Amino acid sequence: MANTLGKRYQCEKCGTEVLCNKAGQGEIECCDAQMKIKEAKPLPSSD
Amino acid sequence: MNTVNFVTIPSSIVPDQEIIVYGERRLNYAQFADTVARLSTVFKQQGLKPRDVIAALDTNSDLYIATYYAAAKAGLTFLPLNYRAKEAELEYMINTADAKVLLAGDRYLELVERISARLKLARILAFRTGKPSIPRLDDLIAAAEPDESEAEVEDEDTSILMYTSGTTSLPKGVMLSFRDFTAYVTANVEMADGTDRGAALVCVPFYHIAGTTAYMTNVWTGRRLVVMPQFEAKSWLTLVETERITHAFVVPTMMKQILDDPAFSKTNLSSLTNLAYGGAPMPIQVIRRAIEAFPQTVGFVNAYGQTETTSSLTVLGPDDHRITGSPEEREKKLKRLNSIGKPLPDVEIRVRDEDGKLLGHGEVGEIIIRTPRIMKGYAGRADDAALAEGWRATGDLGWVDDEGYVYFAGRKDDMIIRGGENIAPAEIEAVLMSHPAVDECAVIGVPSEEWGNTVKAFVVTRAGARITPEELTEFCRSRLASFKRPEQIEFIDALPKNPLGKILRKDLRAPSGA
Repeated sequence: MANTLGKRYQCEKCGTEVLCNKAGQGEIECCDAQMKIKEAKPLPSSD
Repeated sequence: MNTVNFVTIPSSIVPDQEIIVYGERRLNYAQFADTVARLSTVFKQQGLKPRDVIAALDTNSDLYIATYYAAAKAGLTFLPLNYRAKEAELEYMINTADAKVLLAGDRYLELVERISARLKLARILAFRTGKPSIPRLDDLIAAAEPDESEAEVEDEDTSILMYTSGTTSLPKGVMLSFRDFTAYVTANVEMADGTDRGAALVCVPFYHIAGTTAYMTNVWTGRRLVVMPQFEAKSWLTLVETERITHAFVVPTMMKQILDDPAFSKTNLSSLTNLAYGGAPMPIQVIRRAIEAFPQTVGFVNAYGQTETTSSLTVLGPDDHRITGSPEEREKKLKRLNSIGKPLPDVEIRVRDEDGKLLGHGEVGEIIIRTPRIMKGYAGRADDAALAEGWRATGDLGWVDDEGYVYFAGRKDDMIIRGGENIAPAEIEAVLMSHPAVDECAVIGVPSEEWGNTVKAFVVTRAGARITPEELTEFCRSRLASFKRPEQIEFIDALPKNPLGKILRKDLRAPSGA
């Protein structure tokens, strides 16, 4: 699958972030480049 | 983005997943989202328009959380009121925020009716049972169709206006935007996707930032949220066992009450993996006791943050709470339990002196921070803590060790934090000074194993005036919230002052060891 449910994608050029709420085969592009997955960094807390 | 998406997106993906538990009520995402959508219609029927303020005054419940998301859906600003506030404080917050509608819980209806003539509100609605003169939310929800729309909000729009005790006698309204919450939530947890993420127990009030971020993160990530109306140690223990709680947050006072409860040793705590604490400095003897008493499987986390920074800035994680290794390592880890940990990935921390010069390791100064989730400002007043280049002064004193651990060294402005509640000495002093027998006074916090700090007042009486500590305590009873009342009153001949006449609180603290 080309994109993943619940992941955030970030454009390394302009900083735009996109959240995927239904996954599909397409590539997500911005500023003529593929956007990169931005992982959450889980707090080791109650959050 | 609009924070109602923290409900609507998961509910479109895993509608049948149970997400909120309150007493006998167990709601899945679809049911919860339906309530939110109907409530949004109700708010619009009340004439509320985007950016209007809606206030809530009640203990924690599933419906309380729904009202926040419904407010977001309708583009409103949500004002969660401290339910321990006194009439004058409520009047100040509601009127200065220009709230149009107040949602009040049963136990607050009489109080609200008493002050309603002085409130600029258009409407009062009752959270639950209500009374004949006040419309009930449950009836209005039952009669409303779900709102299919979602207000278009700007990221900078204020989503929550949260009042925090100021250094003056008046509370300050912290404006937290949709962007602040989106940044916090998406940076820290992944969206719900059907994965089992455990169960969280929330017992801190929703008018505190820790309570608010608890429901936002857990609802977004799909961790079943078990809501307590108010903290009570035995119920907390029972819920951990029966609901197989994995995550919880407590303030130090709650931690001590949990440990002291006779049910503690009989409770099955094996599900608990993350027990976070914060809101006030943790007495070292309490956290050491907790590490000994809870099962080894519990990971403790000390979280330090502020309302103004949308919650946590630093955390001391589970590994730092495992006191293991060689005697030297154990000694080092025990000392480190006094630390508030290291900055989160989206937080930078520095320490500066009074002239603004940055300090090195081990030097005590004011903690300054930079993060993308600093509040947009205070309502109706300037933020004098804002610094150049996105930095902000916390008003907290502290230092950083050579391994990057941050240590808290008290409030710069002498704020008292009792059981997680901020108390401004100036507010209590103003009340004491209004008594005819009081000539001068100063209020400080004194260490308490139970509360972290309790309020102590030093009073100089007017010449010839006669008054007892009991009479002064009684005088405060009707004028201050119970947690703000001085628990100790000491009469002295004169207050220690510097040559400019400023009271030297540190001299007052010295004899009592504060």
